[in-house]
Amino acid sequence: MTPVNIVLGVIGFDCHSVGNKILEAFFTEAGFKVTNLGVMVSQEEFISAAIETDARAILVSSLYGHGEIDCAGLREKCIEKGLEEILLYVGGNLVVGKTAFAEVEEKFLKMGYDRVFGPDCSLEKVVELLNEDLDSRPKGND
Amino acid sequence: MIEEDRKICVDIGSTWTKAAMFNLSHDRFSVETRAVMATTTDHLPEGVYGVLHHLMPGHDWHSLESTPVPVHFASSAKGGLNVAVVGLVPEMTLQIARLAAFSAGARICAAYPYRLTRSCIAAIEQARPDILLLCGGTDGGNERYVTENARAIAGSAFCGTVVYAGNNQAVDHVSDLLSERDLRVTENLMPDFGRLNIEPVRETIRQVFLERIISGKGLDELVRRFKTQPVPTPLAVLNLVEAIGNHVAGWDNFAMIDMGGATTDFYSFCEAYYPDSGTILKGIVEPTLKRTVEGDLGMRVSAASAFETARELLLANLEGSEQSLEIMSAYIDRLAANTSHLPADLAEQQFDQLLASACVYHSLMRHAGTIEEVYTAKGPVWAQSGKDLRRVNRIIGTGGFLAAMGRAGDALEMPVAPAVKSDKIPLLPKDFEYFSDSDYVLPLLGCLAAKYPQQSAATAVSYLTSLHHNEEQVKEFSHREFTHA
Repeated sequence: MTPVNIVLGVIGFDCHSVGNKILEAFFTEAGFKVTNLGVMVSQEEFISAAIETDARAILVSSLYGHGEIDCAGLREKCIEKGLEEILLYVGGNLVVGKTAFAEVEEKFLKMGYDRVFGPDCSLEKVVELLNEDLDSRPKGND
Repeated sequence: MIEEDRKICVDIGSTWTKAAMFNLSHDRFSVETRAVMATTTDHLPEGVYGVLHHLMPGHDWHSLESTPVPVHFASSAKGGLNVAVVGLVPEMTLQIARLAAFSAGARICAAYPYRLTRSCIAAIEQARPDILLLCGGTDGGNERYVTENARAIAGSAFCGTVVYAGNNQAVDHVSDLLSERDLRVTENLMPDFGRLNIEPVRETIRQVFLERIISGKGLDELVRRFKTQPVPTPLAVLNLVEAIGNHVAGWDNFAMIDMGGATTDFYSFCEAYYPDSGTILKGIVEPTLKRTVEGDLGMRVSAASAFETARELLLANLEGSEQSLEIMSAYIDRLAANTSHLPADLAEQQFDQLLASACVYHSLMRHAGTIEEVYTAKGPVWAQSGKDLRRVNRIIGTGGFLAAMGRAGDALEMPVAPAVKSDKIPLLPKDFEYFSDSDYVLPLLGCLAAKYPQQSAATAVSYLTSLHHNEEQVKEFSHREFTHA
């Protein structure tokens, strides 16, 4: 079976690269074909990569506290570019300060992300959810 | 007996057939004799035998005996093959396809991202490119666009060669759809996202190029007689640029501008991106050896389009002179009517200079990348896209006009800043020495560059005139020897 393509990267002007490398290794190990765009990735780059690789999910990280500004509008841009069916996951230190996670989650779900994760989530759990979500979603980006 | 130390190179241009005999001693060639005559467009070998006779009058070049000196030849094939490129994302596979086509010596007549609509197909049918380069998707990535585009091509009246360099998983589908066409399948030019794989596409286009050049006008006769394949002229020049960059000390950051009657070709040999320079890169890392071809910028056949493109720049440059854009426009019309026209007076010389500067300016701006300051939560950051030419410290000028200028001792002014201020700052060469190919040997030497890279590179550099040190050698401004062929 051909592996599922996913796109990974740290959005905005965020340079946190350690977690990004761990995610790349983890998802590759879990059987995905990972296109890792690294750090300081713009929304446009995520979308270009998702189109060319026919990715079924984009995994966005943000750790420097400006996630809200950086992540807003990605869903709309995906729809605009014909990626209606793509899964959008986001995780990290998404906002500055001590906002309750439920509140953060709600905010990002509203923006059109399918799953929202805090900094201490279990990666096994993320893979499990990703596989579930992929199974329930038609393979229809291309 | 064949004299192995001597080589004859012939460059069959659209207007002129040029030739030189080179002598190899130690590590480089020297020019012994040269010849030029009008290209015999009906049957190219006639003109070739003509120049060969000039070089070696003692030998009967029409006879089928073995040649006394190895002959290498290049043909421009009407200024290069026309290629239409079809990619997926504009700044990814489409941009890589452009770079690959240019580096194979082609001209690009159309470029389309995403899906080929009916109007795109109509435009391709009208432009009648020799090759359509179809790509898109990483290996195992997007298949839909390339297959839909293959279907659109299959249903069109386009009947040239299709080169497929897209997603390898879509090969069977694309092959089935295009089974009625001359389809060449090669490796994906972007197998993984952001990774360039230009060489296989380049080789495939070069192969098609050769078949096309040879198939008409008698070049097959030359292939049989001299037992060698021709090189497409633009590729010969590119090979030479690469040889210079790889083999000559001090020439690892340079650019070359080849300005002809129909196109202006810009070459650069330097690293495209310096990660230590405090900038981040957007898009792909462009190749060290890069060629771009501007089909709308030229001194004769393309003079009218160059004039249109450069209207604003020319207007600014004409300010304070006695001439006006209207008078220049009339001159451009005369050039369109007679593309072999040579400037008859000082005013016309000035117009040629202005036109040349405009071609240089626009071809450089299109070749160079840009940086832009973006404000972030962490302060300003520089974002680069395209190729950084700031470390280019030598620039060569070649082609009929620039060679003639070099013989007159004139250096062409290269822009160091854009004419119009913009947020996107072009990454132009800052501090460089200008060299003229005043003997106009580079296209001929290019024929030898693939086989003798070190020797031809050393020779090329030794024949250049540095116009910062040789200003006393002012010669008569002359177009006599070689014109804008």
